[in-house]
Amino acid sequence: MGNLAENNTLHADLEPAIDIPSDNHYYLNMGPQHPSTHGVLRVLLEMDGEYVVEAQPVLGYGHRMQEKMGELKNWRAFMPNTGRMDYAAALQYNHGYVGLYERLCGIEVPARAEYIRVITSELNRIVSHHLWIGAMLLDMGAFTPILYTFDDREQVLDILEDVTGSRLTYCYFRVGGVCKDIDDNFIEKTRAFIKRQRERFDIYNDLVTGNIIFIKRTEGIGIISPDMARRYGVTGPVLRGSGIAYDVRKNEPYSVYPNFDFEIPVGQNGDSYDRYMVRLEEIEQSLRIIEQALDQLPDGPFLGKVPKKLKMPTGDCSFAVEAARGELTYYLVSGGGDIPYRLKIRVPSYSNLSVLPELCQGMLLSDLVAAMGSMDLVIPEIDR
Amino acid sequence: MHPATEKLISALQELSIQVDACDYQQRGYHFEIDLEADKLRSLAECMLAQEMFLVFVGGLHVKPAIEIVYQFASFERACRLVVRAAVKADNSMPTISDIYQGANWHERETRDFYGVVFTDHPYLKPLILAEEDVDLKPLLKKDEDLKETSEVRWAAPVEEKPEAEKAEQG
Amino acid sequence: MPPELLRMIIAAVLVVAFVFLNAMILGYMERKVSAHIQRRPGLMEVGPHGVLQLLIDGFKLIGKQLVVPEASNKFLFRLAPILSFAPCVLPFVVIPFAQKLQIASMDISLIFILAMTSINVIAILVAGWASNNKYSLFGTFRSVAQAVSYEIPLLLSILSIILITNTFSLQGIIAAQKYYWFILIQPLAFIIYFISGLAETNRAPFDMPEAESELTAGFHTEYSGMGFSFFFLAEYANMFTVCSIATVLFLGGWKGIPLPLGDYTGIFWFMLKVYGLLFVMIWIRWTFPRVRFDQLMTFCWKYLIPFSLANLLITAVLVKLI
Repeated sequence: MGNLAENNTLHADLEPAIDIPSDNHYYLNMGPQHPSTHGVLRVLLEMDGEYVVEAQPVLGYGHRMQEKMGELKNWRAFMPNTGRMDYAAALQYNHGYVGLYERLCGIEVPARAEYIRVITSELNRIVSHHLWIGAMLLDMGAFTPILYTFDDREQVLDILEDVTGSRLTYCYFRVGGVCKDIDDNFIEKTRAFIKRQRERFDIYNDLVTGNIIFIKRTEGIGIISPDMARRYGVTGPVLRGSGIAYDVRKNEPYSVYPNFDFEIPVGQNGDSYDRYMVRLEEIEQSLRIIEQALDQLPDGPFLGKVPKKLKMPTGDCSFAVEAARGELTYYLVSGGGDIPYRLKIRVPSYSNLSVLPELCQGMLLSDLVAAMGSMDLVIPEIDR
Repeated sequence: MHPATEKLISALQELSIQVDACDYQQRGYHFEIDLEADKLRSLAECMLAQEMFLVFVGGLHVKPAIEIVYQFASFERACRLVVRAAVKADNSMPTISDIYQGANWHERETRDFYGVVFTDHPYLKPLILAEEDVDLKPLLKKDEDLKETSEVRWAAPVEEKPEAEKAEQG
Repeated sequence: MPPELLRMIIAAVLVVAFVFLNAMILGYMERKVSAHIQRRPGLMEVGPHGVLQLLIDGFKLIGKQLVVPEASNKFLFRLAPILSFAPCVLPFVVIPFAQKLQIASMDISLIFILAMTSINVIAILVAGWASNNKYSLFGTFRSVAQAVSYEIPLLLSILSIILITNTFSLQGIIAAQKYYWFILIQPLAFIIYFISGLAETNRAPFDMPEAESELTAGFHTEYSGMGFSFFFLAEYANMFTVCSIATVLFLGGWKGIPLPLGDYTGIFWFMLKVYGLLFVMIWIRWTFPRVRFDQLMTFCWKYLIPFSLANLLITAVLVKLI
């Protein structure tokens, strides 16, 4: 009995990350197979009773070397890979990738295609937030909300399936436009969804937002200060929860986002509760964007003229989009030809998760779960 | 140009770092800096003081030496900088992970992919790759694919253009 | 064979059978109710509306191997499920299902039940310790602290009823509710009892010991097959016990609209009330998030215990005056 000390020797090789624990401290391995790490993330914890002394995320279980693949394939061949990094918000990854080539090669995109991109991207953002609300509450022990958010999620997935052909790992955008036009049926269904989703907010609020247990478990938990966010490069709803209104869609507008009237919701304290409220409000803002885009939707071609083989100029180019989890930046270095010399993908969750070691010092294990849940981590995106 | 951006540029120039303006429409960033590795830490400190955040750190394998690319941006305004610094002769680079804590993982990842040693990094163990792949360095190019630095830079005439267009943006 | 012994043997068989049956009914009920709360059909495959699913699950669990971890204390590891299951059967001996449907009537039935349900904590302690798994040990720490703390408000709320009835006999308490149920004069005690009961049986939102998003499965992480099923059976048996005490103390036990053969058919009303309370328990579980462990303890020590003490004091004064 009492073999806790013995077990600790199993991690001797990882010692430098965390000092050898004193008699009262012990290691706890959260993951790679753990109910609340959502995928294969492993967090090595040094614990003092129920309190976390230090946490060390261990990454790479789902690593696929996407950046190497990016150096070996032209844009057409790499396109499906983009949707497989952040499977919950694949269209935004599509968007960043095609935007990168369009910027580098100076390709014009028809206006209708840009509108379709915005509509589908925002639908994808809503879907991603649906998934997150359910998953975070599941982490906190509420089983039911995920079924309700998935009910709504299904509505959107059906809409997107009609036009993109897939339900999760989309590969819908093309350099110069999109691969399939949207029709009246799509517009009709999207409008119906907007109406339905607005009614559903009441259910979310009744079931979750006003729940005293939920508030007690998220308020003041996992506070990320603006300074901390800056030092770690935290972006997306996590950053906006800390009160900084940074959104690539507003800050460095791309596509046709300047044409729409929408707000950037921000929190005040930077705790888990604020992050929840920000995301809930973002769903509403996305609905507003979609509504306006549907009203303004111009006629015309949905795919511009693009040469079969792109001729990239030499040089480097960067393209940032606001993905559901934060700023996604593709950085491409071209040495001519149609295959990139180097493709760097900056994923939001990577920087967001890197806060964890500083964030969780002295936290209860239960709070760690709530704080990690509120960050909306998608592990394949981090591992790439 | 935004006053804060001007302030940043002059602060960088005080450190005798040359900042070149670029065409955002074509490149997706506003300024580029080619830097010696020695000045990196003072640049990072200046960036943090001017409230910029670190977007990413990445490597780029070119001749004659591997370059490390840093991208900074601002939460408040449209201002994006790309900083390129060639590694020192012993394949090392000063760390900025004590200035920007977020750089910690990016530097570990760059070490995984390129084998660049970040001096004084607190914990330079493989992050993305497995422990046993410590010498894999998957993103290093083969000799026949390796290009000169000049071959992956914008051609000179293109770099002239931004000056005119930047005025429009400002 | 003396008739008394025969009666006891039949009773023992019936009780154990009932514990299994209860687990099946509750398991089915939980899965169906949760499904409907979550807008899905739930069990549908085996039998009409999936009623036989739990039977199949039972066979599956019996057929599974009990994996004993290499580094565990093997004796204690095997002992724990039995230790958990055995004492939770015993309360059924004294539960008054109807006027004449009680296996043994004791004057101290209530104390007997409380004593038996408390043993469950020891089983959890043994299970968590013997597993030699950190998550299990975590669950055990929490469970023991929680069960010991919540026993206090639980007992205090029961005491206020005892002050009124002056008896520990369950039949006596039911008889005292001739004109009205005690929930009407002791609503606070009922609420405190029910909340503590949720915590005692480790039900959500107080399911700390097995908070699966934090501790994978808490104290029974390492158990499989019948080892797991015994904990499962014990949990449902304990839920039934807690709710039947609530029914006896606050809801008039087997009393209801008189039916023919009232001495025996009271069981209908008794079961209706008990399963009504169990339904509420399930409803709560599938609606609320889990509370945090320190909040759970704060809630017990700072709110439930003072309130139950105040309630006891007021009851004592009123009983003395009237």
